[in-house]
Amino acid sequence: MKKKTFIQKRSMRSQSMYHMMMLPGMIFVLIFSYVPMFGIIMAFQDYVPAKGILGSEFVGLKHFKYMFSLPDIWQILTNTVVIAVGKIILGTVMAIAFAILLNEIRVRFFKKTVQTIVYLPHFLSWVVLAAVVINMVNLDGPVNHIIQMLGFDKVNFLGSNTWFRPMIIVTDVWKEFGYNSIVYLAAITAIDPGLHEAAAIDGANWWKRVWHITLPGMLPIILLMAAMSLTSILSAGFDQIYNLYSPMVYQTGDVLDTYVYRMGLISRQYSFSTAVGLLRSAVGMVLMLAANGLAKKFTDRKIF
Amino acid sequence: MRRRLFIKRVLSIATVSALAVSLSACAGGAGGQEEAVSAADGPLGAYEDTLVCSMGRSTIANPKFPEGDSYEDNAYTRYLKEKLNVEVKDSFEANGEDYDRQVSLAIASGELPDVMRVSSKDVLDELVENDLVEDLTDVYDEYASDYIKEVYDSYDGRCLDGAMYDGRLMALPGTNYDAAPCVVFIRQDWVDDLGMKIDEDGDGCLTIDELENITKTFVEKDPGNTGNPVGLAFAPYLTSGDYGGSGYTMMAIGAAYKAFPGSWLEDEDGNLYNGSTTEGMKATLAKLAEWFQKGLVDPQFGTRTWDDITALLTNGQTGITFGPWHLPDWLLNNVRSMDPDAEFSTYTICDDNGKVNVIHNNAVNGYMVVRKGYSNPEVLIKIANLFFDEIVNNKNLETEQPEVYQYVTTVDNSARPIQVELNKNTYLVDEYSDIKNCVDGKISMDEVRSIESKTNVEAINRYLADPANSEVTDWSKYTSRMKSMELIDRLTNEGKLEWDTPVFFDTTETMRTNNADLNKLQEETFVAIVTGSKPVDEFDAFVDAWSSRGGEQITKEVQEIIDAQ
Repeated sequence: MKKKTFIQKRSMRSQSMYHMMMLPGMIFVLIFSYVPMFGIIMAFQDYVPAKGILGSEFVGLKHFKYMFSLPDIWQILTNTVVIAVGKIILGTVMAIAFAILLNEIRVRFFKKTVQTIVYLPHFLSWVVLAAVVINMVNLDGPVNHIIQMLGFDKVNFLGSNTWFRPMIIVTDVWKEFGYNSIVYLAAITAIDPGLHEAAAIDGANWWKRVWHITLPGMLPIILLMAAMSLTSILSAGFDQIYNLYSPMVYQTGDVLDTYVYRMGLISRQYSFSTAVGLLRSAVGMVLMLAANGLAKKFTDRKIF
Repeated sequence: MRRRLFIKRVLSIATVSALAVSLSACAGGAGGQEEAVSAADGPLGAYEDTLVCSMGRSTIANPKFPEGDSYEDNAYTRYLKEKLNVEVKDSFEANGEDYDRQVSLAIASGELPDVMRVSSKDVLDELVENDLVEDLTDVYDEYASDYIKEVYDSYDGRCLDGAMYDGRLMALPGTNYDAAPCVVFIRQDWVDDLGMKIDEDGDGCLTIDELENITKTFVEKDPGNTGNPVGLAFAPYLTSGDYGGSGYTMMAIGAAYKAFPGSWLEDEDGNLYNGSTTEGMKATLAKLAEWFQKGLVDPQFGTRTWDDITALLTNGQTGITFGPWHLPDWLLNNVRSMDPDAEFSTYTICDDNGKVNVIHNNAVNGYMVVRKGYSNPEVLIKIANLFFDEIVNNKNLETEQPEVYQYVTTVDNSARPIQVELNKNTYLVDEYSDIKNCVDGKISMDEVRSIESKTNVEAINRYLADPANSEVTDWSKYTSRMKSMELIDRLTNEGKLEWDTPVFFDTTETMRTNNADLNKLQEETFVAIVTGSKPVDEFDAFVDAWSSRGGEQITKEVQEIIDAQ
């Protein structure tokens, strides 16, 4: 807080150099992010490439109405939100827990090795990882061998409507938690070690210190990350689901992205796809603003 | 992390929209008629001044060009320059789906190449409706060679009609010959090892019960020694609308119940129906569900991908598969590479009356169009004459045009500056008779009709000289020609094939919006019925849902279009 007022006091002139340095980036954002937003118009048209945006016929909310008239739309939205929320919650909890635990490790070599190992899956594409996952959990795979040895029936994890969502959430968390923990690790290192020492002298055990010092110290970052992830609540991870799903699990695994993909692939529906994208961004923005408001109300901290 | 995703999404929307905005700005600049370059008369009349023809080219990743050649400059384009004095300039080159995107962009920008390939009827409709392509009716009549006309006539008009709008030919459609029936490939070496007797009457047709028995024996005896045989493996989409298309489908089994999912057919009374909704379809699914129960269908059916099934075949977990006649050339060759003893026999499935039910393919595959206002629209027809008459029927090509001959035998067909295929509907049977006669020594190599057949004869002769130690590619050619094609030839000659003709192949208004939903409904229901997670009677509920969710409306639209024809 203090820092901010300090910056504000500086005159524009002394910073003009920095503003100049930002200029190319701003122009880039303007050209590639703001100008194309006019393409949103397509969502309210029956867009025909040959006629162009200016020539295509306006149809108002037709595509939005159509979207909600689709018989499976509520099923698909439910799938999307359940999977996305599951990933956000489990992903955040795992990343924070991992960051706290990793921070306790004092042997540098071991710490670095563990870090590298858990980061690794993040850099692999889902096309590759899906093959790994499929081979792990299919009927002849190691997971089912263990289940059988323990005396249970084999489970077709990726073909079962009970297991598909947990599989998607767990495998995504497995892939990303290491990488996501980087930012939390940074947040932990920013906490003044003096606080920990003082608490230890006062007799606080490890749990108490985590609860009263580490977590509150990380709170701004946790809130920021959670709010950012809310923007993606209507996109549950196309790459992953597309590579793992099959008609057998459409009931629990078909999400907005995969549905629109099949739709668009079959019939080149530019306007409909734009409408879906617009809806998704709008919902994401509303949720992010709401999260910001809530954060301010309950913790008196604003995210942005 | 999340932020990056967000930015990526914004960026991707942004890019698409940016393209749309910038492209729409330059749309609508279609010029008038350009001045024609004069040429000598006749189907192959050369141009007096070099005619420059810009093209959109659909490419593949590895066309196998000799060093230094490219899509724009290769033996075919040089031959075209030499013969017709036409110079090809590529406006754009792109692979697969990227090509279709390039076409969309070209349409959006209003800057079409002079000649290009269009993959789908949708896009052609759009081009015609917006008056962006030349009417080819007159140039076709005037310039198409007799042989090219013969090729189109072999389809009884089914092919050219596909590009007709109000009786005018707006594109040169590519042909797609019939490739029915769906072939059943069975591991002959396993059958021999187990001392089984199959198809004892030798007519190449198996009944459903015979297929069941063979599968049962394979599952029980595990001739692949894998410890884990899986019976029949199907891809989760189960169906395919085209015999030349996908493998691993249930089309062969469906045909025994007269089920042709996805095809628009008419019953005896002329009533239009969709093949996915028939009693035959229900019977097919009931049979597959029964087999799944008995353990004769892959227990992981529904989640196996295409590659998984290929792996099941190559490592010997299954020895029965279904697909088009050319499956040995590109898929079963993998099995042979892994197991040099692997042999496949070819059969098809017949119904209770011993007949094999088949439907005609969509006779059209792709369209070549000429930009509206182009100076010399007849050039497209001349190119077709050159590549599908002159080259194909020139017996002395090898000595007269060695470079072109080398291309025909080794380089991918996409190198041709005309990117559709023009083959007679009887292509398979014709090619088989040539190959067979030549292999048997009844005709000489010079009498073989096409160069392709010649190379196939050579491969087959190499295989026959020493089957046990032959190259896999020679084995493939032998299996696809002397077994698959032979089967089709025999069934055709014996009149075993019961043909039906789908009445509609294109897309209607409601199909455009509802097909994704209907396809999902169909795939989901079919898989659920086969795996037993839904009872067979659920099929009736599916038919109702199919109708109410757009199927009825689509049927109405298709009927209207047929009535209008």
